[in-house]
Order: sequence, then C-alpha cells, then structure tokens
Amino acid sequence: MILFTSGGLFALLALSIPVGIVLFLLAFGIDMFFSPFPLMRGLGQVVWSSSNSATLIAIPFFVLLGEILVRSGVARRTYAALEAWVSWLPGGLIHANIATATLFSATSGSSVATAATVASVATPQADKLGYDPKLFSGAIAAGGTLGIMIPPSINLIVYGFLTETSIPKLFLAGLVPGLLLALLFMVVTAIFCTIKPSLGGPGIKATWGKRMAVLVDLVPLLGLFGTIVGAIYAGWATPTEAAAIGVAMAFAIAATQTRITWEMVRDSLLGTVRTTAMIMLVVIGAYVLNFVLTAAGVSRALQEFLGNLGMGALATLLVIVVIYIVLGFFIETLSLMVATIPIIVPIVEQLGYDKLWFGILMIILVEMALITPPVGLNLYVVQGSREKGPLTDVMLGVIPYALAMLAMVGLLILFPAIALYLPTTL
Amino acid sequence: MTKLLQLLGLVNERLALAAGLLLLLSVCVTLFDVIARPLGLSLGGTDELSGYAMAIATSWGMSYALTNLAHVRIDLVRARGSEPVRAWFDAVAILSLAVVAVTIAYRAWPVLEKSIKNGSTANTTLETPLWIPQSLWMAGWLWFALSGVVLALVVFLFLAGGKHAEIDEFAGTRGEI
Repeated sequence: MILFTSGGLFALLALSIPVGIVLFLLAFGIDMFFSPFPLMRGLGQVVWSSSNSATLIAIPFFVLLGEILVRSGVARRTYAALEAWVSWLPGGLIHANIATATLFSATSGSSVATAATVASVATPQADKLGYDPKLFSGAIAAGGTLGIMIPPSINLIVYGFLTETSIPKLFLAGLVPGLLLALLFMVVTAIFCTIKPSLGGPGIKATWGKRMAVLVDLVPLLGLFGTIVGAIYAGWATPTEAAAIGVAMAFAIAATQTRITWEMVRDSLLGTVRTTAMIMLVVIGAYVLNFVLTAAGVSRALQEFLGNLGMGALATLLVIVVIYIVLGFFIETLSLMVATIPIIVPIVEQLGYDKLWFGILMIILVEMALITPPVGLNLYVVQGSREKGPLTDVMLGVIPYALAMLAMVGLLILFPAIALYLPTTL
Repeated sequence: MTKLLQLLGLVNERLALAAGLLLLLSVCVTLFDVIARPLGLSLGGTDELSGYAMAIATSWGMSYALTNLAHVRIDLVRARGSEPVRAWFDAVAILSLAVVAVTIAYRAWPVLEKSIKNGSTANTTLETPLWIPQSLWMAGWLWFALSGVVLALVVFLFLAGGKHAEIDEFAGTRGEI
C-alpha cells in the first residue's frame, strides 16, 4: 500500500495532473483497492468539514494582507531604510536585500511575491553601484523564502491543520529558527564578501542622523509584524483574528503610501480568491487522502514497514531529509509539504519525534525547494524581475544560502530546543 | 469554442469577486468581534460564520483558479515535450480534474440532502439551518464540476482539430503563485 501510494503519487504528478487532483485520485484508488468498506461515500462530509473552518479562513486573510502590501509600495521605503542600517557590512546592499526580504516576507506571508517585489526595488541599485549580480540576486531569492517560516506563515497554518498541531505553538516554534536563518544568511554573505570582495559592492554611507530619520519608514512593517505576532502570543487573538487585524492595518499602511483605488481592491480580492482556491484544493485533497490512509490502516502498514527496515530513528530521519532535498529539486513548497504530510508525518511521529519540531524542520526543507533548480520558483521570479543576464547567475548566487539552510537543518536536528524552547516555556 | 471559454473566464471572474467580497465581509465581522469583545458587545457565532464563509469562498473560487490556470501542476516532464505532446498532457490533466470535480459535486449532494431531510441545525447558539450554507457550498462545487467538464470537452475538441496553441492558452500551465 505504501508502494502503491508513493508510486502512484509520483506517476500522476509526472503526468502534470494538478497536485490537488492527484491527492483525490490516490484517495479514490486506495479506497477502491485496499479498503474493506467504501470510504468515498463520506467524501462530501469530509470536504465540507475540512473547508468549513474558522481556522483555515486565516489563510485568505493573510493572503489578502500580502496582496495589499505588495501593491502598497511600502517595500521601497523599507528597503531604503534598511539599506542605511545594514549596508556598512562586508557585502553592502546584499544585507539590505536579505533584511528587506525577511521583513517583507514575514509580514506578507508570500515568498514569491516578496522575491518579485524586493528584486524590482533592489535591482536598479545593484546596476548603479556595479554589484556582481550573482550573490546579489541569490540573496533576494533566498531571503524571500524566510516568510514561510517566520510567523505569520500560511504554510505553518496548513501544517498545523493537517497534523492537528497547535498553530500558535507552531508560530512560536518558527520564530527563532527563522530569525536565526536570516542571521546565518547575513553571516554567510559577510564571510564570502570578506574573502572575495568583488562578490559584493560598495555600501551606502549613512550617518546616524540619517539612520534615525529613516527609522520611521520601518514602522509600518515592524508594527504590523509586532501586532499580529504579539496579539497571538499574548492570547488576545486567534491567528484568524490577528489576520483580520492585519488586513485592516495593511489597508491603513497602503493609504499612507498610495491612493487606494477600487482597481487595487478588486485585484487584491481576485488574487486572494485565486491563491486561496489553489491552496485549498491541495489542502482538501491532502485531508481526504489523510482520512483514507488512516481509515484503511496505513499506520499499521507503516509500523511494519519501519520495523522491517530495522534502521534507527536518526538514520530514518536523515533518509527523510534526503528525500525532501531530492524532491525539492522538482516539486514546489506547498505541494511538496501537503503531498508528503499524510505519508511522512505519521512515520516521524512513530519514530518518536515531536511533530511540532518536525514541522519547522520540514519548513526549512521546503524553503530549500523554492531555490533549488530545475524547479525553484524564486529563482525564476528574481530572474524575471531583473530582466537581464543569465539564469545561472541566480542559481550560482543561491548556493551559499542553500548551504546555510542545510547547516540550519543540521543545527535543528542536533539542538531541537532552537525550535522547541519558546513553545514549551511560554 | 474560444468565445465560450472566454465567457466562462469572465463569469468566473465575477464569481471570484463575489467570493472575495464575502471574505472581506468576513474580515470586517471578525474585526468587529475583536474590537467589541472587551466592551462586552460580542456578537457570538463569528467563528461559525467564518467557517461557512471559508467553505463557500473556497468552493466558488475553484472554478476561477481553474480558468486562471492557478491549480498547481508539476511541469517537469510536460515541459520537455513538443507542442502536441504538451497538448496531450493538458488533456489528461483536465480530464482527471473533471472526473474528480464531478465526483466531489456528486458526493456533496448527500451532505445537503441529509441536512434538508432532517432539518439539521448547527450545534451552536445561532442554530443556523445547515442547508443554507451547505447549498451555497455545494453549488460552488457543482459549478466547478460544470466548468471542468466544459473545459475538458472543449480541450478534446481542440485536440481533435489539432488546435494545440488554444489548448495551451486555456488549459496549459503557469507558475505557482
């Protein structure tokens, strides 16, 4: 049954059938061949109860928040402000790329929109100052991935929903690893640019007076981030309520930066519905597959499978990590996560690992998927925004950051407390 | 045929906008609840209403994502093929989608039927008659099934006529958002 499920998964995905539809087809197949009683009679009820959810509505709320932020023009000022603060480091503006991408993706929740927005803001600067395009664009592609780890994160909501893990706890768990990874990106940049200064370029000399003056431009995004995260952690609001507050704040931010038009609202709403439906087809498909796998007794099959393998817990975990890295070359974040959760998470739990911790580990691995060719969406988005030079520039440029992510995976396995300290103490 | 698909796209955009406005309304209701709660004015039942809004917006958005080519497909093998090969991949994909969409719509009916027959109400203070949100939800899946079937039929007509460029336009792949 495991072979049928994973084999079928890859075969149907390779046929370019939509990922959500593949998950439904697999569920139908398992029901037909392996289940002693017809499970699919309950399909309607499963679809209804999985989408009738006050928890999941946080997803369109956060998507809408991001849609508004991307159109608000707030990224430009944020970039200029961060540039004044961090570009004295070896590597210059590259640090501004990482910092802006981190802050913007953390609040907007979309890796791809972040990569596109920051690239369009930063690229003209790189040309003017004569930066080497490789590390410069690689930093944007990699920095944009951090949004799915740093709360609020749509991917963590989906993980929490499918594995029945507390979403506020997942948000807490993602905070330190996300910020640590951003820091690691900056350290890697500084090291590379110290060894070989030609990889970077000149920074912008900013006086303390200027730095203080631009701080006000950081207020919108930091305020938004602080409010959402603070409201959830303080227990004032559920993630859904915090997201609704975030949408209101995003409108307020947009109003201070630009004129809010009906076109802007309409486009934001259409984008929200499109993205939500795309996410939900995959999520409902995974939910149905989850239901069928559990009902058809897959957990027992998995136990036997693992028992027969005779590998230790750590060895099995490392195999899983390698599987994700390899799959990440070909499959994108959310699809990769959702398609594998029904199969992998029960295995990991069986091995005795904490699923809260594994959620964070999985997020780093799917972040890598966003920047590993041939299918690494952020690479193409950054390339699309800079409109010149070969794609290999971006691919080479992300290598140091992909290595930093691998280091983070290792750190997280060695020191689970990086993720678990906050959720267990707060 | 092209006209029909363009019309379908237009209708889906209107429907998606309606779904978007429903989500925006849901944002407002949630906000009101958060603000009013400390003042003791909470409406109650916000969670329940948000759930219905989510289910309905999701089902009605499916069709828009379909005509916008937003449902994620793994393009790795397909992209290596020539134009006719890609058209066949697209045809298989849309056919599978239509089959699944019809199955969901078909299996959604008993949920609604039972609520109507038993006069089921939600187990909450609002005591919402469940047929109201469920019929809107079910109608969205039905529309998705209909859109899927229409698109599949047209794609196979295009395939028979060798119109591969049209297939790419209406049932090809675009990057994940």
